[in-house]
Amino acid sequence: MKDYAERNRALLHFVAVPTILLTTALLGGLRIDAQNRQFVFTAPPLVTLVLATLLTFLFVRAGAIDLRHWLSVELPAVTNLSHLLTLLALFFATAQAFNSVLPETGLLHWMFAFFFLWTLWTNQFSSFDPRRLLRSIIVLFGTAFVLKHLFMSALYAPDKGWLRTIAATFLQGISVDIPAFAPATGYVSFFALVLYVVGLLLIAPVPIRSGPSPINKLAVNDDALSHPGE
Amino acid sequence: MQRKSIQIVGVVWTLVYASFIVWIYATEPRSFKDVATNTQVATGIYEINQEKFNNGLTLFRRDQFRAAREEWAAADSAQRDPRTQFYIAYAYYREGWGRVYYDRTLFTQGLAAVNRAINLDPNRQLVVDDPNLQIRTPAELKAELEQGLETSWRDLNPSRLFRQRK
Repeated sequence: MKDYAERNRALLHFVAVPTILLTTALLGGLRIDAQNRQFVFTAPPLVTLVLATLLTFLFVRAGAIDLRHWLSVELPAVTNLSHLLTLLALFFATAQAFNSVLPETGLLHWMFAFFFLWTLWTNQFSSFDPRRLLRSIIVLFGTAFVLKHLFMSALYAPDKGWLRTIAATFLQGISVDIPAFAPATGYVSFFALVLYVVGLLLIAPVPIRSGPSPINKLAVNDDALSHPGE
Repeated sequence: MQRKSIQIVGVVWTLVYASFIVWIYATEPRSFKDVATNTQVATGIYEINQEKFNNGLTLFRRDQFRAAREEWAAADSAQRDPRTQFYIAYAYYREGWGRVYYDRTLFTQGLAAVNRAINLDPNRQLVVDDPNLQIRTPAELKAELEQGLETSWRDLNPSRLFRQRK
């Protein structure tokens, strides 16, 4: 039983988490052309790398990632390499998550980028714990997703619904020169963001070590308490 | 020991998957079919569709150049076969050739196709052994297309009306 638990934890930490983060990196830049339904791969713009750097600093500051335990001279080289790759995957997944919710071009691209930069910069000086940081990230990406994939994409919707009317009213006089993508792009982006959040939930601040976990240690202590004479 | 094996598998898998993502963004496939074709090219097992190539050749010999080009484009969807690209360029040349003037748009497209053929055959070994063609190598075809795109006083020479299409 213990062997299974340890093996599953190792599989999750060394295989599943990098896979989930890299899948986010793959899907974050994928769009579907509205005209011919072809794939369009958008490489992360420079501003998303800056945003990813700021968010990575936040992860470290909030204690969501304890770098001293992730990369250390006391760890074996393979473990350090594996951790380094996971952290790189996290960085590029973050950049692509931003890429997924940023409008591609035009004034709105820079407005979204500016608001992201503003939020992340002010957060650098706030006190965070990992749980609050995760909630904040979900709200940040959720809001951007709704604005881009529901509100702004409504402008290109073939039927003149209420959302399109509202969007057209709000954006009246603003040059919205973003390319039109198929609705499937929204689904891809949603899936990428869900994977990103799942990846963040699975990343432990302190990576697993071989041997019994803290939970197992507590269980041993319980046993010792229930049979004090043994 | 088992943990170390999982770590090594994780490192290898992460590197392979990351390389695949970089490759996807570098090649920018337009569909799942493109992904399959690009994979064939990358692994060196890419082959043109011979049946479509032969259909294109039949159409070309009937002077149906546009239809021929479409067949050849489908036969060599990755644009990796120098011979097919040579024929596509030849179809542009023959369609754009005129006794009085050359169609510059078609000649420009032909030049792009013949340049692809040259790039795919850096050792310049391609000689197309087709009795219906008077131009047999991409270099000759390129020179012919470039001459057609140049404008000079020789264009006013009335003897040009008697020249023959190659």
